[in-house]
Amino acid sequence: MNQVPDIQPPGFFLRFFRWYCDPSIAEDIEGDLREMFARDVSRGGLAKARMQLSFRILRLFRPGIIKKIGHQPSFNRSSPMFKNYFITSTRSLLRNKGFSVINIVGLAVGFATFSLISFYVYNELTFDRYHQNADRIFRIVENLRTENEELFQSTSSPPMGPHFLKDFPEVENYVRLQQWNLLAQRNDISGYERDCYIADSTVFDVFSFKLLRGDRKTALREPFSIVLTKSMAKKYFGDEDPVGQTLKMDYDNYKVTGVMEDVPENSHFRFSNLISFTTWSRNNKDAEDRQWFWNGFHTYVLMREAESADKVRAKMKDFLTRNIEKGGMYYEDLPLQPLTSIYMAPPRSWENGTRGSINNVYILSIIAVFILMIACFNYINLATARASRRLKEVGLRKSLGALRRMLVAQFLGESLIVTFIASLIAVLVAWIALPAFRTLVESPLSFSILPDSWKVLGAAFALIVFVGVLAGAYPAFIISGFQPLQIFRPSARGIFGHHNLRKVLVGIQFMISITLVAGTMLVYDQLDVVRNQELGFDKDGVLVVPTNGDTAIVKYLDAVKNELMRVKGVSHVAGSTSIPGQSANNLYTEIEMTDGKMSPTNINYIFVDHDFLSAYDIELVAGRNFQRDVKADDTTAFLINETAVKDFKWTPEEAIGKRIQLRSPGKIIGVIKDFHYRSLHTKVEPLMLAMTTYVRLMSIRIESDDVPGTVERVQSKWKELIPYLPFDYSFLDVEFDRQYKADQQLGKVAGVFTGLAIFIGCLGLLGLTSFVVERRTKEIGIRKVLGASVSSVVLLITREFIWLIGIALVVATPLTWYLIERWEQNFTLQAVINPLRFVMAGLAVMFFAWLTISFLSLRAASANPTQALRTE
Amino acid sequence: MSRHQLGEFEEIVMLSVGILYKEAYGVAIIDEIEGRLNRKVSIGALQTVLRRLENKGYLTSEFGEATNVRGGKRKRYFSLTLLGSRVLQETKEQRMEMFRAIPRVAFPKS
Repeated sequence: MNQVPDIQPPGFFLRFFRWYCDPSIAEDIEGDLREMFARDVSRGGLAKARMQLSFRILRLFRPGIIKKIGHQPSFNRSSPMFKNYFITSTRSLLRNKGFSVINIVGLAVGFATFSLISFYVYNELTFDRYHQNADRIFRIVENLRTENEELFQSTSSPPMGPHFLKDFPEVENYVRLQQWNLLAQRNDISGYERDCYIADSTVFDVFSFKLLRGDRKTALREPFSIVLTKSMAKKYFGDEDPVGQTLKMDYDNYKVTGVMEDVPENSHFRFSNLISFTTWSRNNKDAEDRQWFWNGFHTYVLMREAESADKVRAKMKDFLTRNIEKGGMYYEDLPLQPLTSIYMAPPRSWENGTRGSINNVYILSIIAVFILMIACFNYINLATARASRRLKEVGLRKSLGALRRMLVAQFLGESLIVTFIASLIAVLVAWIALPAFRTLVESPLSFSILPDSWKVLGAAFALIVFVGVLAGAYPAFIISGFQPLQIFRPSARGIFGHHNLRKVLVGIQFMISITLVAGTMLVYDQLDVVRNQELGFDKDGVLVVPTNGDTAIVKYLDAVKNELMRVKGVSHVAGSTSIPGQSANNLYTEIEMTDGKMSPTNINYIFVDHDFLSAYDIELVAGRNFQRDVKADDTTAFLINETAVKDFKWTPEEAIGKRIQLRSPGKIIGVIKDFHYRSLHTKVEPLMLAMTTYVRLMSIRIESDDVPGTVERVQSKWKELIPYLPFDYSFLDVEFDRQYKADQQLGKVAGVFTGLAIFIGCLGLLGLTSFVVERRTKEIGIRKVLGASVSSVVLLITREFIWLIGIALVVATPLTWYLIERWEQNFTLQAVINPLRFVMAGLAVMFFAWLTISFLSLRAASANPTQALRTE
Repeated sequence: MSRHQLGEFEEIVMLSVGILYKEAYGVAIIDEIEGRLNRKVSIGALQTVLRRLENKGYLTSEFGEATNVRGGKRKRYFSLTLLGSRVLQETKEQRMEMFRAIPRVAFPKS
């Protein structure tokens, strides 16, 4: 053959070939390849030859040529060898009980927290998915433009649903809902049902709520029909059959036409009963057909196909111009929110039900991954540190002909055994911790939300294998990579060369710990700022009792208030339609602008009585409060807040006397200081106060050291005055703080898991120190013989870790800073990030690390050196 | 004799190994087939078939001397075993028998 010995074939493909080829046939085939390559070179040039060679090698990659996995002509085929692996692994685990316990406990706690948090995150991310048509249901929401601002509302007006159905062939059905708060009464059982919803009779066609009794087509057709949930039926009817019976709610008698399953916990809004829509619409026919700007309803539409939402969106402009006149107020857009996204979407105004926070989901996920990482790093660190113990075993195996691959398999198997044991313990731990976790995250987390059990098991198995391989891979490759000669030679240099990786891993653990500690402290800082924020009103010591517009109270309001005022410890009594921290009414109003023209807008209202400002200690900036002796105030006087004044570009003094057209004409008589009448997450919006006697809530300010006693006295007075109305009181500050439930939860959860992370990290540190101490026993002995003090020896061991904490602190600071800054953007008022917190976190972590380390190093340092040196 | 079914390509490879006698190694076999039958043979296809035939016991192989060419890799020479040659023989006879059984009239006049 023509040989061109100078030209070598491309090495990469040959290496690839050698890697995959069955070694028993590799030699001659490679020879053939080289021969053909040489011939190609002499014939057609180098480039072409190379290409053909690589092409050939790729075509050789086929069964029959590739080496068979596990079918090596060697002894690892036999089951005795596997048995041997298993025995040696178990023995080594048992011999180093301390290390094994640290590894297993760390991983178990890691797995348990990871699975609990995953459960929670899964729950949060799968809200409303249980509806059969979940992907076809959308909520109509509004971007409403008024002359002064753009409002993003979750609500829509009554004609929208029907017109969607009429105008868009893609829409199959719709349902309108509105939340009512009614006082339900039957025999001597009464209670406020805050989650009554009126609903179109189509509600059961759109949503998959399960109707247990009654007919889904007709149940909500007639006015004053009501469908109860199972638990509400039980509350008012006990074991009786409620269907066909009547239930008094406020002043009307409702006929129970059905009973349904309770609304699942993972729903973005939940209700205790559904009332037929006709109950409302029979007297409001005109509003239902024409009030395009009365945005008091939540409308859900069912599309024929999930994809057709885009088609509908494309035709929206046309729909708006066709149906709705463009006045001073008009719709910029009517977006369609997919049902499954509502729970996590940024809240619009007038949301129904509860909302989750995607930020919290992110933060918790990060914490879960962090904790698992810390546990994995523990395993890697301890396994590599311990490797020296296994060197003889490895050396012997290698001398007897074990391939590297087999050793890798052995050590990977070992880490899989450890992870598997850990996961079993984790199941137990998670099971025990689940009730506590449920209270911690304040979520029922029922198992029914989980997908098929085989999917869960599969995911768990995948996680175990993933963690096992992740933790085991590096030690396996390190240990199996040692050369037998190197192992048996006493100067085993290079074996401990993976010190650096260990340092990096410990450093990362410290970094994570510092991030978590500092992050938690900063979260609490922010929550403190929120809690202590200047609200513009005094929220402490206010007792709130609902009356739901009870006619007797409305009629004899002043008398009732006077009676309550006489109770010892009560300083103010005020009535209103809503209270700070709750919602307000958003109403269509015309306001006189500076140029004298009336301008239409939607503005928030709270209707109050004469004592509202004084009871809540809200300050007046200009003008006057409502006055009892000015009879006209009852209907024609308005107070306005500073934000509104600023929005309209007035000075407070200019605002006085401006004309207002609500239902009847009136005038602004005063300007009040801004107060947070809604959440602190949202900015203070323009607000008007007007007078009413239709009181839904009584606010009773208590100024007394004996709060429980006063509450009791108020209650007995209440029973005396209005025995039929339940005294269903709450404290305003408690109610107000409830708005930050999600944030406070986050603080608590972060605190708990930070503790856990530090615990696992310290476990690893304990193991590592014990290893270091063990290895340096002789060194410490000699140092002491030569006159080293205990403290200098302790310092010797701890110095390394202190360094790492320092570096970790430097890395963790900007990271945490960035994350917390992002999170704080959720709040209108943000806490200043206090750099001192990082120092504190660093010190805290250092304290725990030092405690862990010095426990062992002190023992080593104070031991009698003869003990250490006599061992041989 | 249905136990010893040879595929078309297997048969060609075995025939080439027979033809080349003592000189039948990878590249030579490829050249032989390509030269005689004017068809492309990939080394991947050839090597799999060679190993398969060896496993069935139709072929046997041994390494040649190491030389400086071919990157110092030895050649593997294949030769027919007794079983292999018998199978080849049988295959040929089966074909011939069938060919002879075709009645003359079945061949269209050209």
